[in-house]
Amino acid sequence: MAPLATTAVGPGQFYELVAHLARRELNAQHRWTVLGWAWPLTRQLAQLAVLVFVFSKLFDFNIDNYGVFVFTGLIAFSWFTSGVQGAAHSVLSQRHLVFQPRFPSAVVPIVAIAVPLVDVLMALPVLLAMLVVSGDLGPTALLLPALLAMQLLLMCGFAWICAATSVYLRDVPQIVLVALTLLWYMTPVFYSVSQVPERYQWVYDINPLATLIESYRAVLIGTPSPGAPEIAGACAFALVLAAAGLWLFRRLEPGFVDEL
Amino acid sequence: MSSISLDGVWKSYPRWSAGTRTLRGIVTQRLPMVARGKDRRWVLSDVSLRAGPGESVGLIGPNGAGKSTLLRLAAGLGRPTRGTVERPDSTAAVLNFDSWFDGELTGRENAVTALVVNGWRRAQAKSLLPAVLEFAELEDFADAPVRTYSEGMKLRLAFGVVAQLRPAALLIDEVIAVGDLRFQAKCMERIQDLRENGTTLLVASHDLDYIVDNCDHALWIQAGTVRVSGDAATVADEYRRAMQSATLDRTPAPGGSQSGDLELRRNRYGSQEATIDAVALRDRAGEAALEISTGAELTIALTVSSRNGPVSNPIVGITIHRVSDGVICYESSTESDHVRLGTLDGELRVELQFDRLDLLPGEYRLDAGLYRADWEFAYDFHWQAYPLRVVGSQHDKGIFRPPHRWEVVR
Repeated sequence: MAPLATTAVGPGQFYELVAHLARRELNAQHRWTVLGWAWPLTRQLAQLAVLVFVFSKLFDFNIDNYGVFVFTGLIAFSWFTSGVQGAAHSVLSQRHLVFQPRFPSAVVPIVAIAVPLVDVLMALPVLLAMLVVSGDLGPTALLLPALLAMQLLLMCGFAWICAATSVYLRDVPQIVLVALTLLWYMTPVFYSVSQVPERYQWVYDINPLATLIESYRAVLIGTPSPGAPEIAGACAFALVLAAAGLWLFRRLEPGFVDEL
Repeated sequence: MSSISLDGVWKSYPRWSAGTRTLRGIVTQRLPMVARGKDRRWVLSDVSLRAGPGESVGLIGPNGAGKSTLLRLAAGLGRPTRGTVERPDSTAAVLNFDSWFDGELTGRENAVTALVVNGWRRAQAKSLLPAVLEFAELEDFADAPVRTYSEGMKLRLAFGVVAQLRPAALLIDEVIAVGDLRFQAKCMERIQDLRENGTTLLVASHDLDYIVDNCDHALWIQAGTVRVSGDAATVADEYRRAMQSATLDRTPAPGGSQSGDLELRRNRYGSQEATIDAVALRDRAGEAALEISTGAELTIALTVSSRNGPVSNPIVGITIHRVSDGVICYESSTESDHVRLGTLDGELRVELQFDRLDLLPGEYRLDAGLYRADWEFAYDFHWQAYPLRVVGSQHDKGIFRPPHRWEVVR
């Protein structure tokens, strides 16, 4: 972990910074609202209710236990979008940190990912309760932390790349927004990959987020797992992307001060 | 070995500024500039500087000369285009308050963040917090958002943090001038303390007296190069002298309309961007006074104005000369007394009030000056233009007559 920081900052210090800054961010977000910490969960449940209504009452997708099915995908997808979108703005909006001589700026996009992770942790008990009620919860659910870790790694790569490039090109956050909107339809959140015609399947095979969401469902609900090559490919992609992202971030970092 | 050294440092910035970091800006503005090879602006050229442990180096020079860029590079913010910068790992910089605080968060939260960012564990930071707040004297405001703080309070908080950091090198840009006098003295004492323990100090300031009093060496930076470097007092002197000739160069040729006894290039100098329109001496009763008695009250009232656009933070100075031999009996300025005029746009009245002026009887003349915020030149300077006669029956010798009495103890 040591090369994460440009100054002499150990992994302990790196964690300390992320934890402190994420807590600070969360406090600032929820301080002046009545519902406070209940807001992120409320937001996700509202979205879930709409999706369940539209795709099981208006159009029947005919998926078993649709509520749990959608919620699993929704939690993972929301974390991904909030995290990457937040990261794209992160360095631009945290001038006061980037201008501190001893501060390793690579922390900033990671904080943007850590903040919506709290939403995930708050939604998980609700999801687990739903699984218990539907009787789907099995021992494979113990693999969940490994999948979350893999998603974290995948997001780190995107976060570093988006955060660093947006300093030089202010269009990046907008581009990210468009890309994420498209991604919503190209990722099986509210539908199942099995409904997709054969000739478009390759889109889902190369989409690491689709593979991830399929895996979440496999371990939680017991739907068919994606193939081993897809999983290995997604893992490798996440690793390479994170390494490339960090490399790019550290390359561009010395110029931040001049560009901000 | 804790020391800062810059070796042959050059720094250029892209000419495009904020607003051209969009796709459109790149195509319409950046590419044409790059094509014509005019895309870089050199801010520093071949600057070298060395400051050992406990040493203190001052940077002087007009605004935009590159002092702030130099400090940033020394702090490790940004990379020099050419040359090398060495600095201790634990370098703290108070460059501007934007870079210290998040306005929405409270003073307490900001202080903890600043400590964590500078390498403390959260638990340590929390235990240091009371000391920070005590030094800053902000215990009562610790839970108010920093956006509600005055500049002086922000300075106090920043210094409270720095005092706890015990950095190996401390870089300060001008900011110290916003605190009140008592707190400035406290900061000075603290900085002195740090220096005795080996902290290297690098400070940029327009206040030449501050540099002379607090720095071992000084660099005069002009247009991105080191114009003079050496002993602080010598450099400050040279800078002052150059300012005088800069003023002369800017003084327009005498024109048609001259007010009163003032004549450009005879007893009036300066660029005339902003002017001193009237200088009135008034006695205790508020009457115009050309003559006062020793120890009487005197008010010098100046009307200054800027007619061709605003000028920011000009400095007003008054000097009293004795006519017989030209000795400067007294000199003061709004800057040396830490009075800020703010932006001068239109007319402003500035008064210098003496509760008692203990000058000995004789003939005196006053200079009145209006200077640019960085003292680079005068906007308007009236040389020995205002006569003042001091009368009295005293036969003391010297310049002034402090209140006194004789007592014979047998």
